[in-house]
Amino acid sequence: MVVDIKALRTEVWVDWCPGCGNFGILNATQRAIAELNLEPNKTVVVSGIGCSGKTSHFINVNGVHTLHGRAIPFATGIKIANPELTVIVHGGDGDLLGIGAGHFIALGRRNLDITVVMHNNGVYGLTKGQASPTLFRGLKTKALPQPNIQDAVNPIALAIASGYTFVARTYSLNIKHYVETLKMAINHKGTAFIDVLQPCVVYNDIYTKDFFKERMYILEKNGWDPVVEPGTPTETIEEKIKKAIEKSLEWGDKIPIGVFYHNKAVPEFGERLNTQIPNYTELPPAKQKIARDDGKPIITNSDFRRLFSRYIVTRR
Amino acid sequence: MDKELELMIGGPQGSGLDTTGQILTSSLAYIGYGVISDREYYSNITGKHSYIHMKVSPARVPYDLSYPVKLLTAIDAETLFHHYNDIDEKGFIALDERGLDTNLEKIVTIEGFTKQMIMDDLKNRVGSTILRDLVQYLEDDLKINTIILNYKEILDKLVDKYGVAASLASRYMSSIPMGVISGLMDIDAEAIEYGVRRRFHGRERIIEHNVFLITTIAEDIKSVYGSPLKLPKPTLDMKEIMVVSGNDIVAMGKVVGGLRFQSYYPITPAADESFFIEANQNLGDDKGGVVVFQTEDELAAIAAAIGGALTGVRTATATSGPGFSLMVEALGWAGNSEVPLVITYYQRGGPATGLPTRGGQSDLLFTMFASHGEFPRVVLASGDHEEAFEDSIIAFNLAEKYQLPVIHLLDKYLANSIATIRVPDIDQFTIDRGIIYNGNGDYVRFDTSKTISPRAFLGDDVIMWHTGNEHNEEGHNTEDPILRERMYRKRMEKLELIIKETPKKYMYRYYGPENPEVILLGWGFVKHVSISAIKHLEKEGYKAGYLHLKMFMPFPEEDIVNILNKVDRNNIIAVENNIMLQAAKATSLFTGIRIDRGIKKYTGRPIYLHELLEALRDLLNNRNKKEVVLTYGS
Repeated sequence: MVVDIKALRTEVWVDWCPGCGNFGILNATQRAIAELNLEPNKTVVVSGIGCSGKTSHFINVNGVHTLHGRAIPFATGIKIANPELTVIVHGGDGDLLGIGAGHFIALGRRNLDITVVMHNNGVYGLTKGQASPTLFRGLKTKALPQPNIQDAVNPIALAIASGYTFVARTYSLNIKHYVETLKMAINHKGTAFIDVLQPCVVYNDIYTKDFFKERMYILEKNGWDPVVEPGTPTETIEEKIKKAIEKSLEWGDKIPIGVFYHNKAVPEFGERLNTQIPNYTELPPAKQKIARDDGKPIITNSDFRRLFSRYIVTRR
Repeated sequence: MDKELELMIGGPQGSGLDTTGQILTSSLAYIGYGVISDREYYSNITGKHSYIHMKVSPARVPYDLSYPVKLLTAIDAETLFHHYNDIDEKGFIALDERGLDTNLEKIVTIEGFTKQMIMDDLKNRVGSTILRDLVQYLEDDLKINTIILNYKEILDKLVDKYGVAASLASRYMSSIPMGVISGLMDIDAEAIEYGVRRRFHGRERIIEHNVFLITTIAEDIKSVYGSPLKLPKPTLDMKEIMVVSGNDIVAMGKVVGGLRFQSYYPITPAADESFFIEANQNLGDDKGGVVVFQTEDELAAIAAAIGGALTGVRTATATSGPGFSLMVEALGWAGNSEVPLVITYYQRGGPATGLPTRGGQSDLLFTMFASHGEFPRVVLASGDHEEAFEDSIIAFNLAEKYQLPVIHLLDKYLANSIATIRVPDIDQFTIDRGIIYNGNGDYVRFDTSKTISPRAFLGDDVIMWHTGNEHNEEGHNTEDPILRERMYRKRMEKLELIIKETPKKYMYRYYGPENPEVILLGWGFVKHVSISAIKHLEKEGYKAGYLHLKMFMPFPEEDIVNILNKVDRNNIIAVENNIMLQAAKATSLFTGIRIDRGIKKYTGRPIYLHELLEALRDLLNNRNKKEVVLTYGS
């Protein structure tokens, strides 16, 4: 089935502010889904709360609009229960690195095959412009009564340190770059993170379209090689990690976009579950029968005695 | 019930009491006795005082614990200081000779307040805080038989016979109480070996050492004391007996009930359940396995379970009070988005961290109303191990049939006590998955034409949306007032359906005469102590019944009104492990029947039969008295 991009739009009116960076993100996400030919019923967009949270309603694939900060654990449950689904998380910088930061880190430890797209505009848009965890200290965006006194998190370094095996940055208005990056992320067998820089036209008067346009450059054009193939020696991997983290510190006159780190050698979470449950791949939770045809539990009396024999005492 | 035996084994955490309890319970079950074994312990891994309190019956599966006990075996000197008031006249205590000169004042593992209380009592009654003097007092004044053994000499026998390193011999300490009990109860060598084998399956050397030690001690004890605590031959009509804790049996019920994904964050006293499931997760080549997923916190645990449920999997999480507090926001999401989900909730002593390893029933009202906004949920409470098994299956059926979260309430008493129960017959249970989309026609997830919309799963041939916002039939956000009212009502109407369609035995049970004069009202683990109490009251001339509430949300109002109307309002007495009498409050809320007399215990220890009876007599004889607060147990 070839997916038509127009069919990936829903009838819900897209209610973001005119000029919002989210339009680029939405458009590019739909394009990537179409180009990868992902079946809408086997694809799930899981979103958090805030402007970015609405994304799941605008794409004509399964959508789960969750709680503030909890998109990652919802998505985790979906993917583990039914690994044949393609799961894409859309969250804001406040959602993923503020209220949901614990989940963001924990996901990296698992290398579960989902893609996390972070809408990064430095502010909490839907609550009218408070500072997000990616806004640098000392900055005073439009709505802030005082300059920000909290330091910014470095999302790329945090993702790498947490164990994400595909870590990239793109820009919401560079549709071509975004689409290619997202396609790579979805195709990557493991946890992928994309930091999407975007302007918030209403509340962030510092990170504007012009601000990004002047500074942004594409990493790969400068001979950057972030890929770790299976069998790579540990020292080489560590070298790539160090370089990627070092690169992530670059912010100012020049802002790199592209893939910072891409490790193909780490076992995905499903493989790890397979070590506990040998038939997990063939029979993940969503594919198991739990009842017999007559409605009785699939675990019969004799299964029960087999499984729990240690707890049954036969009287002498 | 006269020919039953209650006993205690006490010692520091980490000294193998659990092992003793498991071996003893298996041996007794093997002979055919019914056993309940409650474990009381501090939030501590090694050093602080813990004990096992056990009742053994030849004729029934007991659940009601009571004091005094006939036998106390102590691993350390501290134990007797905690329990010298718990022993029956002419009962038995077994002690280590080496601890006799211990002065209570010098024991560092007893906290200050507790120590002072005991010291005051000892100074008053014994005139000394030295163990030897206390023992003398118990022998002289209470005619208690003291069995003084030298534990080191006993363990040295292992060193001599098997060449076990002296430093390792202390690991066999748990055999000493088992040996003493086996002697006094006349548990034979075959039964002892059976219990030891079950505990250490396959580890032949350890089995041999333990059996040797236990049987040797038992023979020595018998030669001096005989077997004065021997029970009559068992008459229990069970060929096979399950020996399970509450955590174990709930885990089994969930697996039978179709659980295939459990997410959890470690917390006492719930975590053992998840460990149990993981240890038994492979169900067979053709059946698959249960994923047990340890999350980073309880926020993630419930969120992952919801996510899994959206794919059509029976999912659950297991937690206790502090964990559930964190899950509350997501609970509302599940209610709003009509997600079937089971939360197995083991209550412990609150608030905050409270009494992490002690019991309580103080979270009922919290579970009934947790999370903002109004949404339907089921709150279902179990009163014993058999109910817990059944309810674990029923919880999933209710969750899927009505597409809502089900909170299955248990308590620490049930979770950590080991009972001997009948092996359940799986064929009496049905898996009811509710209305599922049949694959024809256009699909909308929240079809408002019926109260229960057909459910499709993520990954099916259709697509759908879920949201925490109010939503339209597709699952997209809406703020339309008409749609809002329709969706809101559709969700809440499920509660009426549940009351109409659910068999009464899952909502409440009534025990006692058809026309009682007095009704005890309780829930959870107070069930059996209350049932025993009404039997005693009957002998004393009171026609008393026990109303055991199980389902609190929705609440079976009409039936409960009919039962409670049988007695004078002043003759309704609530029995609960909380201060507010929460089940009574809930009953009042839904039935309009005000219940303000009750027996309360919130010390973290279970309600014991002897104190309950005393309190009931007090309330029955003093009609103006409103409440009795129970505090027995260390």
